Amino acid sequence: MRATIKGKIAAVAASTVAILTLSACGGGSGSSAGDSPTSGEVNLIAYSGVWQDQYTAAVIEPFKAKYPNIKINYASKRSSAEMLSALQGQKNNPATDVAIMDNSVSTTGNNQGLFEKIDTTSVPNLANVPEKFRDKDGYGPVAMLDAVGLLYDTATFPKAPESWKVLWDPAYAGKINVNAPPSLLGLSLTAITSKMEGEDYTKGIDKAVARLKEMAPGVQTFAPNPDEYQNVITGQTVLGLGQNARGQFYSDQSNKKMGVTFPKEGTVYQINTINLVKDAPHSAAAKTFVDYALSAEAQTAFAKALFYAPSVSNAELPADVKNRVVPTDGSLNIVPLDVEFLSSARDKWTDTWKRQIITK
Amino acid sequence: MTLLQNKIPPATHRGIEEGVLERAAGKRNRRTYLALLIPGLLGLLVSFVFPLAYMIRMSFNKGAPDGVIIETFTLETYIQPLTDPYYWRVTLDTFQMGVTVGVLCVLVSYPVALFLARSTSKYRGLLIAVAIAPLLTSAVVRTYGWMVILGTNGLVNSSLEGMGLITEPLKLTNNMTGVTIGLVEIFMPYAILAMISGFGRLNRQLEEAAGSLGASKFKVFTRVTLPLSLPGLLTAFLLVFVLAISTFITPRLLGGGSVQVLATEIYDQTTGLLNWPFAAALSVILLVLFGVIIAVYQRLTKKIGG
Repeated sequence: MRATIKGKIAAVAASTVAILTLSACGGGSGSSAGDSPTSGEVNLIAYSGVWQDQYTAAVIEPFKAKYPNIKINYASKRSSAEMLSALQGQKNNPATDVAIMDNSVSTTGNNQGLFEKIDTTSVPNLANVPEKFRDKDGYGPVAMLDAVGLLYDTATFPKAPESWKVLWDPAYAGKINVNAPPSLLGLSLTAITSKMEGEDYTKGIDKAVARLKEMAPGVQTFAPNPDEYQNVITGQTVLGLGQNARGQFYSDQSNKKMGVTFPKEGTVYQINTINLVKDAPHSAAAKTFVDYALSAEAQTAFAKALFYAPSVSNAELPADVKNRVVPTDGSLNIVPLDVEFLSSARDKWTDTWKRQIITK
Repeated sequence: MTLLQNKIPPATHRGIEEGVLERAAGKRNRRTYLALLIPGLLGLLVSFVFPLAYMIRMSFNKGAPDGVIIETFTLETYIQPLTDPYYWRVTLDTFQMGVTVGVLCVLVSYPVALFLARSTSKYRGLLIAVAIAPLLTSAVVRTYGWMVILGTNGLVNSSLEGMGLITEPLKLTNNMTGVTIGLVEIFMPYAILAMISGFGRLNRQLEEAAGSLGASKFKVFTRVTLPLSLPGLLTAFLLVFVLAISTFITPRLLGGGSVQVLATEIYDQTTGLLNWPFAAALSVILLVLFGVIIAVYQRLTKKIGG
């Protein structure tokens, strides 16, 4: 009996030590051994949920078919901020090779020295990315574009609302979902409202705050769950803020129960960049993946799957997809939300929403 | 004499030997106890003490925008929340939520726990298992369940509308009402368990004695049952209170962004704004709040016990 208990204790102690050792090793699983442009593995960090599903099906699976000796390890995060936080934690011992994230956050990463510059010698498809979608210092280019849209219940609105002002319409009070900052959706709505009020939001947002305060009592949730799209689809709300790409996807999924539109006062781009982590453990294979992600084939496939606009000039989209992705030819009224400015405004605007706008 | 000499020394030897043996056994036992403690202590050290020390150290750093952490030693992260009325309100709301959920949870769990503790049914084990079975389901799943039940088109609103009692749906989610309802139900099994184990002094014979001496059922309850079950009630309240003020999932999911408590604030600062030093300072404040409550609780239980 004594021997058994001792044996058990020894086993528990051994497994504790093993777990601790494993967890200690977990941070730096990468090894450059056997890494080449056509073999090895790539540790990718990108969005979770439907984004992950569609990106895996449209880009990662075909990549794996083309490069069977490169394994892709997908680590998903709910937001770009969470990705940045993970990369900051690995700064001295990077375990991630490639990150696909919002450009406002990737710019911060560039400034903090988390990413490496990319050129056409190792990533030939970069040549197809127009100048406007490349980083001026040569860091990760734009991989796909989207914009903030207005989600609406098609039964309540047989015709898409034309103006953001519908959010203030008392008829829909209590049936609106708005994602408060630090979500990009809330930050965008702040800029759009400010512009609607004829204010320069880079100088101050007093008028926008006053106007948003009028809207707040009619907002059912400032943090929709499970997400902003399901809230409209299930009838919990009839209007909401959302991203065009996911909105289009869920519109199809819900048999057009929900629609998404760009109101006339303009909208804000949501741009994702693809970034190579500095001192990435599998740099050669990672560059092969970045190159494939910027190929016309991958860009078209992802646009068809999740309605993100391609960032390369040689991607040809079918008309029914082209009409549903965000226009990048200048035809859409865009409220510019400068990346550097956003970095300084994010904390302040989030604070303002919490203290002044969000009602109990 | 010879006899004595012959007899006594062996006894003394035996005595010395026994003492030595006992001491040796004691040492061995102590060593075994210590050895037994090592895995647990090691686990605690790695999973609790180090992270806690790291968090406390982090709280004295300075957070700059975009997740930049400036290594320094400043009290700024504490001065800001302690001098800002907004954070006082958030702390007060957290405290209020803890008290409300604690009181309501104890109120609804008490009859169930009392019944289970006094039951002599052969199914008592099964009934206790049923009462704590919700613990087998994740709090996330149960919170989503409440979102469906309390939503605009949920079970409660559609039933009330169907009965013609309301014309407009009641706002039961995305506010403190929803969070409170969700938390009370989620913490009920904990409260029931804590009460059952805290009802040690509750004795049916005392109640019967009071009854036979002429006390009414109400008087038996107020003078015998309730005072004897008070330690259990207090333990349950403390447990639920502590769980409620540190819970994040339910206020986040059922609060709809309108319920701002310390836990949600810490989450926002950590994952949204990446201000880890500030989040760490808020966590330390929450920890101090825990400490104060536990100290008060111990005083109270001593008073009741004494």
